[in-house]
Amino acid sequence: MARIRKAVLIGLVLLVVAAFGVSAQAKVKAAFICQNMANESQAFSEKQFMKYGADFGLDMYTFDAKGDSQVESQLVMNCIAQQFKVIFLNPNDINAIVPSLMQAKRAGLIVGMFSSDLSPANQKYRDFYAGSNDVFAGKQAAEAFMKHFPNGAKIVEIGGQAGHDAQIKRHDGFHSVIDSSNIKVIDYKACQQWSTEQAMAIMEDDIVKYGHEIQGVFVHWDNGATGVIQAAKAADLKGLYIIGIDGNRAGYNQVLSGEQAVSISQDFVAMAKKDMELAQKVVKGQQVDPINYIPLNVIDKSTIKNFPVPQW
Amino acid sequence: MTVQGTNSAIRVGASILRDYLVLVMIAALVALTALIEPKFLSPENLTNIMFQFGPLMMVALGTTFVIIGGFIDLSIAGTINLVAVVTISLIQPMGQVPALLTGLATGTVCGALNSVLILSSGALTQAEALFMTFGLSTVYSAIALLYSHGSTMHFWDITASKSIFQAIGSGSLGFLSWSFVIFLISLAALWVFQEMTAEGRAVRLTGGNKTAARLAGVRISRSIVVIYAIGGFMAALGAIVLFSRVTTASPVIGVGYETNAILAVVVGGTTLKGGKGSVLRTVMGVLLVVLMSNCLNLLGVSTYLQVVAEGAILTFAIWLDNRKHM
Repeated sequence: MARIRKAVLIGLVLLVVAAFGVSAQAKVKAAFICQNMANESQAFSEKQFMKYGADFGLDMYTFDAKGDSQVESQLVMNCIAQQFKVIFLNPNDINAIVPSLMQAKRAGLIVGMFSSDLSPANQKYRDFYAGSNDVFAGKQAAEAFMKHFPNGAKIVEIGGQAGHDAQIKRHDGFHSVIDSSNIKVIDYKACQQWSTEQAMAIMEDDIVKYGHEIQGVFVHWDNGATGVIQAAKAADLKGLYIIGIDGNRAGYNQVLSGEQAVSISQDFVAMAKKDMELAQKVVKGQQVDPINYIPLNVIDKSTIKNFPVPQW
Repeated sequence: MTVQGTNSAIRVGASILRDYLVLVMIAALVALTALIEPKFLSPENLTNIMFQFGPLMMVALGTTFVIIGGFIDLSIAGTINLVAVVTISLIQPMGQVPALLTGLATGTVCGALNSVLILSSGALTQAEALFMTFGLSTVYSAIALLYSHGSTMHFWDITASKSIFQAIGSGSLGFLSWSFVIFLISLAALWVFQEMTAEGRAVRLTGGNKTAARLAGVRISRSIVVIYAIGGFMAALGAIVLFSRVTTASPVIGVGYETNAILAVVVGGTTLKGGKGSVLRTVMGVLLVVLMSNCLNLLGVSTYLQVVAEGAILTFAIWLDNRKHM
């Protein structure tokens, strides 16, 4: 009897050990280092990593870099020390993060960039990138203006946070197309932060300066467009053709109500899933494409019925 | 006129210029901008300035008391974030008046909590208060993020009446915006408190010299609670004016307000050393900050240069403040 009990006990222990082994093998320890959880799109992205991580065999953890590139670098070092296998990150500064990523690669971590990629010279320090193409988003905005104003127009551009990677790329992409068209950008100002109030104040000042000359506004983000719309309403300036980027609830509702003409939508669910799918493949030793652009959707009055109400 | 008389006149002139430099700067800015961009003086632009003035004005008025009291408050951004998301989220379930009152109470409690922690830790210097309130700003912002799940809340999510907030954001009483009327009432109340009440004088004494104030019978702990509670209340009022204006409230809506408020107060002429200053001077300081942004936008100056200009003016104001005390 004692022998049987002993055998059952040993069997159970082996079963538990095996179960842990299988579990450990199935789940890869992965971290999403969020650029700044105070940023609405990033907070939403973090939820997607947590929600879908298990579907890709990942044991997900998230960390907040709080908009600070030094903190972000430190978080990468912490992940190395804590023996994470995979890190996904959206860099606050695509150059400042490089030294810590060099160490991560030396330690054998799989590095996936999310939403913002490294510069071409530094792309050897990451395995893959999944995200939208901000340059392309700017180009799409320019094309939408050209389509709407075939005979030319005068528009203003209100940029996102000055110096931010997305602000620079959206501006560059926009001008790479619009500058060769018959549409004149009569004023451009970037904000000090991604602040609706600052976008509103710039628009108010532009209305004073240019008044009814303004036919359209390209504003780099949909929440900024909310400020532009409020400024136009206060000045009783009707018929402005407003284009924003993001495709969040603000943009969606503003297009639905006709206050905003176009919202160029980024799909953060697809971005997060793609990043995790790529990580899973790399873990299995498969080859993946290093650059994976997630298509942008153009939401306007005619296409809005094809898109669900955004969750963020 | 003798040489001595001329020197004396120059000294008096320099003294007046130093004391009222902000007015000189405003006048120069207005004249220069009006010359280059005549639309600056248009009724539309003056209305713009009146609306743009509101949120920072409320916050800076409260900050004036904290600085006169010899302290500093970096928790303003966190307080604004928290008040904005709490107030907007309560309009639907509670109705607009209870939401408004809860928002104001939240700000006042945040301010009072600052003072209680400062007093209980014995952090009675400006530097200690700076770190304490900076930490609390992070706490209030984190609560705002948790509360809102990182999302921006919009007016269109609210089906209940929000007429009070719409009036504060974009309504007018005659030719004055409602936010400007609220500012005038706040200014009058705070000026009366500062100049005509014993507590107002106690705040000034506390800021001037805490030991002397204590020996003179001033209850400095009460003064500290009062200044931070006023600071919190006014930050809440600023938050409400701010989100009513833009019709949305994000958990980071207050970013940058603490530095702009301090900038406006110091540029206005209230000394960072405490004990001296006035809410009326702060009005001039805010006017300069708002006008600077408006003028530089109209003149087509880039954002980067605008930030440089703000930093340079703050540095100059603090330098001048220190020179006055040499």
